[in-house]
Amino acid sequence: MDPLIQALGLVFDPYVLAVIAGSAVFGMFVGAMPGLTATMATALLVPVTFFMSPVPALGAIVTATAMAIFAGDIPAAMLRMPGTPASAAYTDESYAMTQKGQLNLNLGVNLVFSVAGGLVGVAVLIACAPILAEVAINFSSYEYFWLACLGLTCAVFMTNADPVKGFLSLFIGLLLATVGIDPAAGFPRFTFGDVDLMSGINFVPTLIGMFAVSELMRGAVTVDAAGRMVAQEVGNIFRGVGAVFRRYWFNFLRGSVLGTAIGALPGAGADIAAWISYAVSKRFSKEPEKFGTGHVEGIVDSTSANNSALGGAWIPALVFGIPGDSITAIVIGVLYMKGMNPGPTVFQENPQLIYAVFTIFVLANLIMLPLGWAAIKSARQILRVPKNLLLPVILLFCLVGSFAMTNSLYGVTLMLVMGLLGWFLEEHGIPVAPLILGLVLGEMLEQTFVQSMIKADGAAIEFFTRPIAGVLGVATILIWVVMVGRAVRRGMAPRAA
Amino acid sequence: MRLNDALLGAILLGFAGWVWWLTTFFPAFPGQDYGPNLFPRILAVGIAVCAALLVLRGLRARGGLLVLEGWARQPARLLSFLAIPGAALFYILASDPLGFIPTAFLLLLALSLWFRARPVVALPVAAGMTLLVHWFFAGMMRVPLPRGLMDPFL
Amino acid sequence: MIRVNRRALLGATAIGAAGLAAPALAQPRWPNRPIQMIVPWGAGGGTDATARIVGSLLERDLGQPVNVVNRTGGSGVVGHSAIATAAADGYTIGMITVEIAMMHWQGLTELKPTSYTPLALLNEDPPGVQVAQNSPHADIKALADAIKAAPAGRFRASGTGQGGIWHLALVGWLQAMGLRADHVRWVPSNGAAPAMQELAAGGVDIVTCSVPEARAMIDAGRAKSLAIMAPQRNPMFAQVPTLNETLGINYSTGAWRGIAGPRNMPQDVQRRLIDSLKKAYDSNEYKEFMSSRGFGVVWGDQAHFTSFMAEADKAMGDAMRAAGLARG
Repeated sequence: MDPLIQALGLVFDPYVLAVIAGSAVFGMFVGAMPGLTATMATALLVPVTFFMSPVPALGAIVTATAMAIFAGDIPAAMLRMPGTPASAAYTDESYAMTQKGQLNLNLGVNLVFSVAGGLVGVAVLIACAPILAEVAINFSSYEYFWLACLGLTCAVFMTNADPVKGFLSLFIGLLLATVGIDPAAGFPRFTFGDVDLMSGINFVPTLIGMFAVSELMRGAVTVDAAGRMVAQEVGNIFRGVGAVFRRYWFNFLRGSVLGTAIGALPGAGADIAAWISYAVSKRFSKEPEKFGTGHVEGIVDSTSANNSALGGAWIPALVFGIPGDSITAIVIGVLYMKGMNPGPTVFQENPQLIYAVFTIFVLANLIMLPLGWAAIKSARQILRVPKNLLLPVILLFCLVGSFAMTNSLYGVTLMLVMGLLGWFLEEHGIPVAPLILGLVLGEMLEQTFVQSMIKADGAAIEFFTRPIAGVLGVATILIWVVMVGRAVRRGMAPRAA
Repeated sequence: MRLNDALLGAILLGFAGWVWWLTTFFPAFPGQDYGPNLFPRILAVGIAVCAALLVLRGLRARGGLLVLEGWARQPARLLSFLAIPGAALFYILASDPLGFIPTAFLLLLALSLWFRARPVVALPVAAGMTLLVHWFFAGMMRVPLPRGLMDPFL
Repeated sequence: MIRVNRRALLGATAIGAAGLAAPALAQPRWPNRPIQMIVPWGAGGGTDATARIVGSLLERDLGQPVNVVNRTGGSGVVGHSAIATAAADGYTIGMITVEIAMMHWQGLTELKPTSYTPLALLNEDPPGVQVAQNSPHADIKALADAIKAAPAGRFRASGTGQGGIWHLALVGWLQAMGLRADHVRWVPSNGAAPAMQELAAGGVDIVTCSVPEARAMIDAGRAKSLAIMAPQRNPMFAQVPTLNETLGINYSTGAWRGIAGPRNMPQDVQRRLIDSLKKAYDSNEYKEFMSSRGFGVVWGDQAHFTSFMAEADKAMGDAMRAAGLARG
């Protein structure tokens, strides 16, 4: 049977549709609550999806993240608090618009361009992923080694943090990945005789700890502080959006394409896509002086970009098993659990599942329009859920979720330790995203390195003799040279106080 | 809470050294130059280099060894902060002997009361969420949540 | 609903229980609450799938839920030790795999086959010899001759980690041909699927995983199976010959799976479980499921499973020492 028809049958099943609807509401809620991020939504969903078949499991993640990234715009507009980090780039701009009395137009633009941007990201994903998969089927350990290197390099390159701390975070993540049985000789490393540690640092409890528990610790300190809600009533949010589209259609296209590309780069996700496209928008605008005063132009670029980044991030995740952002890092784990090892083979073995993911992506972006409208209408109620009840409940979800990943208290212990570590690192300006990527890619990096060295019998030149491996290797080394060069120049230059 | 870069760097230098020392006990991979100790050693060196840079930077910038934000000096807020890891620790220690249901209920109730929720609201929310989570994870998802004291009733 | 079931079950078994010894009277009869079946490997894999079908059949027979719990990692050490260290009350059993006869030789754990109460052997899959579709070696004879003629280290093979079951399969085959264990270089991989991808990409020459594991790449027209290391052909892959009929080498090995519990389980619980497992094994559902996946079925009762594991343990120990993989 045609895999596309099979895929439609898989998606348009009452159970799957119910899961999608449920996760849409969940995503909207998590996204709209300041302090709860889209990554956290995914991390909390994994233990639930663990027991589902692949299509509803992936459907839940796709839908919840798409909704969360949009919903983050709502409190940005109403409270000047981004619901997710992906909305942080234009929170001030958005709130300034609200203060100018343009709350309706502001929310309408955010919703419509989020949907449209998301669809562009999906279109690129659908067009590119199968073609790339055809190429990737001929990848051996040399190519994967360079891809992993490239991904890790991007992770440090893309963070806004200072490079020393970015590298530190990456190295710690890679080191955590070496705990457990080593991929070459099968020797247990850093286990101190503990049976649980032999299974390594489990990814999901680490993620829940670093993204959710550390956030809860910060939230607990300010549990009594609430944002000040704007007084304006929400009216017809779609009025005037058409005019904005006619005027700024190019911004929309530029933001979406840029967002998809940044999403596809390993290590950079929706938040960085929004920051960069906002900056690009300002740089090339005819009226840059209006930016920051409640000008809609930059919002069009960046709100399209952060939603399109979601689709883009799935490209390397599905094709190479290399995550485009922290959300797809979780997705890769879910794919492995379902026996659908990401990589080019999944396109051959389970094409219907791939098409089903594409279908759900389109569907999720389409239902975002009515659901987003409903979320905007009920935003006041959502934002009024008391933090003092929400915080303990989320902690319980974290505990049970971590437990479910290892079926033992090891997961919970790991979550606690990683929560404390994540909080400590962030307090010192050390970003946790490179650490997470290092943890995900560490095993692939070491495994492919050892495999390549064994195959090459120790001859390093073999890393460059296959054509694609050669190109990837040279590109990676060039980026390193540029990075070192920049660091040296910055080191030479007089230090700004 | 924020340590001075120099102090943080020094701690990390010590950590990198400890990692290197641990790798000296790893066996060699028969017939090859690169064994299980290669990657951890590269990473230990990487961490050490970053740490050394932090130490240099911290010494150049001077400043106090430890910076505490305002909230860390207010006992109530400090306790709120510690309540989250504390609750997780309580779960780790208590869930096996007590079972999931009593542990989760006590945890939810105590935390929300500490965060000043009204008991009239906190009590039903704690009970309801505990049963909901238990029904969903233990019932629907078949996660082996510890039964503990509730064993005879489940 | 569960409550009703349990009562009905208690009622039905009360008659049978009346004649039993004192402990059975003092305690309600086993099982009166859900049973955990621990699987040392991840959800979605072959061991997990086998455990889940057996679990659902046990559940039907025992009248209590049988929850399959994945305790993964550490090359199987975590799950195997969770089974061995559980309370021996019959409420925790598990699926143990061939690795239990291998890990202790590598010095990964103290656990060995005698650390368990064996219940039943349910499945065994022999390794195959897979090459890429465009490989110059048309059949197993040509491949074997090429390997013998080539200098040591020219050929590269993969399929699992260093010292894993498929590595030992290769070593055993090489030794049966009179070659050294490292005549073909082993490239460790993270399981059979990535090894098959390496094979398709031209990174290795041979993959010695089981034929069902290689099936996806074979169906995609990227690889072919030249032989299996088993006494007989597999009816699911009848076109693949055995080593014996092609090379005259009587070498066979395999990955196996069975159900076991912690040591010192109560006798009556053991009997009930073994009866129930036998029923599950004889059911059409089990046979159909296993053949749909291409997995081999084999029944070994308690005595057979015990001696089977003892033999496997010795054979694996010899093979690992010969390959220089044993430690300590």
